[in-house]
Amino acid sequence: MKNNIKVQRAMVNMTQAELAEKVGVSRQTINAMELGKYVPSTVLALKIAQIFRKTVNEIFELEEAD
Amino acid sequence: MKKTYLFPYRSKKVSGVVFFLTLFIVLTVILFDLDLIEIPSKVFAVAVDYGVFGKNNGWLMWTEDSITDEILFIPLISSGLIYAFSKEKVEDEMVSKIRLDSLVWATYFNYTLIILSYVFFYGFVFFDVMMIALFSHLLFFIIRFRWMMFKQNKLATDEE
Repeated sequence: MKNNIKVQRAMVNMTQAELAEKVGVSRQTINAMELGKYVPSTVLALKIAQIFRKTVNEIFELEEAD
Repeated sequence: MKKTYLFPYRSKKVSGVVFFLTLFIVLTVILFDLDLIEIPSKVFAVAVDYGVFGKNNGWLMWTEDSITDEILFIPLISSGLIYAFSKEKVEDEMVSKIRLDSLVWATYFNYTLIILSYVFFYGFVFFDVMMIALFSHLLFFIIRFRWMMFKQNKLATDEE
């Protein structure tokens, strides 16, 4: 699964740590997601989308391999 | 929030110190055969069997035996369990996944080693191996889990 969390953060000028705190995970988790090393649960994906006021589909996208 | 079977984060540090300290003592005792140091005590036993040389073999009875291994293994296993299964500072879903993966990995690794030791160790040294096998699963899990968490932290620090 691909995502553009990094872009979304840049648009609102938010650090990994700030996003992490808002959705209640560690900064490591946000970092791992941005690097495509961790696929979040549906709940976490929805929370992230809510923070950026986007739909989940605008941030997360399926890949060929999925 | 779902129920987890984990100990609180604050128990991590103390249990870790106790675990590695007793681990060091236990390994020294096993490797240098110091378990010959005996602390004889009267103990209650569910079953006693010293083989053909045993004077008082039997069930559910008081008996005399050394409690060296009890003194060593009870703190080792209980502190190991608490250290292995206490929460991280930020306990989130990725930590749960790393924990599960590490548990699966440690289970395979531990039982592979046990199978190999059945094949390659014979006599009294096999008894030593079995003593280690009593806590090796916990130990491998702890090493693997800490290593994966360390890698995750490092990845995040490099990004900064």
